Amino acid sequence: MASSLSFTRRSFLRQVSELPWGLILLLCAMAVIGLVVLYSSTFTNPAEAGLPLRQAIRLVIALIVLIIAALFPLRLWLYLAWPAYFATLFMLVLVEFFGASGGGAERWLSIPGLVRVQPSEFMKVTLTLALAAYYHKRWHDFSGGFSIHLPALLLIMAPALLIFRQPDFGTTLALIASGGVLIFLAGLYKRVILTVGVLAIASIPTVYIFVLKDYQRERVDTYLAQLTGETVNVMDDGYQIEQARIAIGSGGMFGKGYMQGIQAQLDYIPEQHTDFILTVLAEEFGFVTTTAVLLMWMLILGLGMLIGMRSTSLFGRFAAFGAMATISFYIFFNVAMVLGLLPVVGVPLPLLSYGGTVMLTTAICFGLVCAVHLAKDEALNNA
Amino acid sequence: MSNSRPVDAMFTRRALVAGGVGAAMFSGLIARLFQLQVLDRERYELAAAENGVKLELAPPRRGRILDRFGRPLATHRRAGRVYIVREQAGDVGAVLKQVARYIDLSPERQEAIIYETRRQASFRPVIVVSELSYEDFATLSLVAPELPGLLVEMAPTRSYPRGRDFAHVLGYVGKANGDYIFNEAYEALSTSRPPALERALASEFARIRLSASRRAEFYESHPADSSDLRAFEQVYRDVSGLLLHRDMRVGRLGVEARAESYLRGEAGFRRLETNAAGRIIRELPSDDLAPKPGKDLSLTVDADLQKITIDRFGEESGAAVVMDVTNGDILAFVSTPAFDPNDFVNGISQSDYDMLRNNDRSPLYHKAYDGTYPPGSTFKMIVGIAGLESGVTTPEERVTCNGRYRFGNNTWHCWRPKGHGPVNLHDAMKGSCDVYFYEMAKRIGIEKIASLAEEFGLGRDWELGLTGGRAGTVPNDAWKRERTGEPWYQGETLNVGIGQGQLAASPLQLAIMTARIATMGRSVNPRIIGLGPEVEASVPEMKAVDPAIMNRIRDSMFAVTSEPGGTALASGELHVDGLRMAGKTGTAQVRRISEAERRSGILGGEDLERRLRDHALFVAYAPHDAPKYAISVVVEHGEGGSTTAAPIARDILSAALAMDSARQANYMAASHSGDTEPDSGTV
Repeated sequence: MASSLSFTRRSFLRQVSELPWGLILLLCAMAVIGLVVLYSSTFTNPAEAGLPLRQAIRLVIALIVLIIAALFPLRLWLYLAWPAYFATLFMLVLVEFFGASGGGAERWLSIPGLVRVQPSEFMKVTLTLALAAYYHKRWHDFSGGFSIHLPALLLIMAPALLIFRQPDFGTTLALIASGGVLIFLAGLYKRVILTVGVLAIASIPTVYIFVLKDYQRERVDTYLAQLTGETVNVMDDGYQIEQARIAIGSGGMFGKGYMQGIQAQLDYIPEQHTDFILTVLAEEFGFVTTTAVLLMWMLILGLGMLIGMRSTSLFGRFAAFGAMATISFYIFFNVAMVLGLLPVVGVPLPLLSYGGTVMLTTAICFGLVCAVHLAKDEALNNA
Repeated sequence: MSNSRPVDAMFTRRALVAGGVGAAMFSGLIARLFQLQVLDRERYELAAAENGVKLELAPPRRGRILDRFGRPLATHRRAGRVYIVREQAGDVGAVLKQVARYIDLSPERQEAIIYETRRQASFRPVIVVSELSYEDFATLSLVAPELPGLLVEMAPTRSYPRGRDFAHVLGYVGKANGDYIFNEAYEALSTSRPPALERALASEFARIRLSASRRAEFYESHPADSSDLRAFEQVYRDVSGLLLHRDMRVGRLGVEARAESYLRGEAGFRRLETNAAGRIIRELPSDDLAPKPGKDLSLTVDADLQKITIDRFGEESGAAVVMDVTNGDILAFVSTPAFDPNDFVNGISQSDYDMLRNNDRSPLYHKAYDGTYPPGSTFKMIVGIAGLESGVTTPEERVTCNGRYRFGNNTWHCWRPKGHGPVNLHDAMKGSCDVYFYEMAKRIGIEKIASLAEEFGLGRDWELGLTGGRAGTVPNDAWKRERTGEPWYQGETLNVGIGQGQLAASPLQLAIMTARIATMGRSVNPRIIGLGPEVEASVPEMKAVDPAIMNRIRDSMFAVTSEPGGTALASGELHVDGLRMAGKTGTAQVRRISEAERRSGILGGEDLERRLRDHALFVAYAPHDAPKYAISVVVEHGEGGSTTAAPIARDILSAALAMDSARQANYMAASHSGDTEPDSGTV
């Protein structure tokens, strides 16, 4: 087993050649689409002129990060899973006490002049690794019982609670959702799943009244109001959703043409180059192209899950599925939010939205999937 | 080795379920996308089209004012202008300092602008510079985007191409003040407007609030109920919304003021495409909402004759009215010196205004219409007609003038100390003998003189359709009793007999009087608005006067200018084809010459300082045998009617005849073809 930790020049090249290049090329294509749309959305605003170039530079860096992560042996990923998880959890605790504000919530941890990190974003990856490592170790006593799943639940809830307190509703939800997927894959009893589901739905009013902060409640209110079709208060969230829908709806089947989107070019939609980038795509390219982009994402995610299913090791399986679940929820929450199906929770669209954090998460997630692919025949038995 | 463990089979099963659920969720997203982009597309397309459209109030273009031949007297042009909006600028002073780096803007002016922005509602643009040079406009347009609250645009501006020439007739436009807005809203309360416009105005200007004092004022006059007040506030907001618009000006004086509703037009809107920040991207087609321009108004005046008249006065201060005797058209209506109405359009500075107000030649005063002067000897025609009509004398009767006239315990003097000898009406008119007219006035009596004076146009405030106008005074017993409670004394009649005493007439009235004499007593009524709003005036027809009498008077007026001994003989001949005018000189006493002064040889003139000198008057018509034009000339402190006023009248009448000023007018209807400058959209 030790041999797998040492590289030779030959094995390195073989590893590179064995990377899932189809998947990587699809990701690169998606990134190029993102750049094209981003250019259109920032074109009319002189203050945003430099953004496409910066995004392009980040994409190149992200690709390098992806390759490095892919070539990182899966066994090392496994070894580092626990330290990474607890380190991130510790950082979340630090945020609780020393966090820096950004956009109404304390999410950032910064050592002035050196680094500025958002531990909640790391947690998406490290939680996946921890859960994968956990179930990998407990493979022999897999059962639907609580005894095995309760620690997993604790692993999820500890960071979820901390992140919820920041408060960051979107990330909390994403964390619970993708963690929940892994618990489901690990074989939790169906009746337990049903019970939890019913309880969760039943608890919504309680959460709404006692747990949510005012601004979060407002978002939910806005969401409920627009679902029923009424025009909500024009400023703030309601405005954003309304403008987004107008942009998307007016795009029609084939769109208004590149750089021709009235909504997009006239800066009607706040955050249109970040969280609401899909509105630009939908307005200028129309239903057909937007659907194609979503199908392309489904293909990418499907390839990632296929890699997971082909993995011999349970760690590989859980890690790949956890990574794909994380990306899936990013995309689902973002698109559902932009289309007015979910409240505005502030989730970006991977590879399309402008921004560095989500790109790093995406690169690491897919790097992990590639690592699983390279180690698909290793059992990683720690016995 | 896959699926060798039971856990692997379970994982694969569940993985497929999870993948399936994920695929279903993504399909749901695509379905939603289909709903928005395909099924509901039309609805959102409409919303997108309306999204960036903002309605901006567009003030109407004010109608032009033209002379009788269609030459513009008041028109519009576009001027580069800078405004500042306090709400957007934040620190107005800092922005102005920036502006001062590019254009000349003194610290004092900056202070004044800052003061003005504080006085106005924060969203109202305040003028920084009302007229920019082309270079400054170009410079500021370039830097304006970086200076918050700065608005640089080509703004429509009222322009008076003839400058001072028509200052008193046209008046000027200016910004509406609080009282103006209040009064207009008050008048508009009863009349309704189209609901669509009303709604738009209301939403656009909902921020305008009626001040507490105005509210109280309205309550006092309308104690009934508060729904009245609400209705009024609504109207007030609409009215002030338009009137306070940065490009809106209202007539403040003259024809501009009185013909306001005719000239103004109706406000409309412009559709502007804006981005989310409210910045205007471009103007969209707005023809359906376009403001209705005001109608053009034509005056009866001949702009060239007006100019010649003013120039002829030179440095003299005075007034002249030239009238077409056939129809009463006023061809020249001059009061000089005058102000430049262009200075008032964007607000005149206090110092400039003070200079105008303190000028001892009163440039702000409309001497031809608002000024009243003792008509002096020009009144003698009226007394002559009255004498013949009442039968107290005959044309042949002679009265002997030895320079003085005794009545009661007092002595009245003739202007010619050694007297005129025995004179009949013809001679008395020609030499302007005072003694003859003292005698006639005494015989006729004040009531007959007064009523005949009114028949010929004196003592009436002639409505012309511009601000101002004075009735002057035609005194009689009733008038005096009402004024002083004392009866009329016959001695006062003697003063009226030579056009002095309480008698006062405006140059306009003297022109009317002359026109009526020239036409043998026809009811010539003056008018200055050729095509425009109806001028309401009910003027009674003149009673017919015996043509024989009128001929006598006209002959005597011809003698004044054309027979040896005539007081205006030197000026009788016109410059046109040997035509002659008929007229009458006059001197309006500014103050009585005391007996002491008379004895010491001061008879006026050079011996007295200017402000105490008499006014020189002259009235005339021409040609004398087929009258076409009537004129009155007053030269303030000009001393002698024959020396100062008559030559001016002669030159003006000559010019009118030479140019044929009274020829068929060409009143331009409210078409804007051949406009001075085309209007463009936003800049």
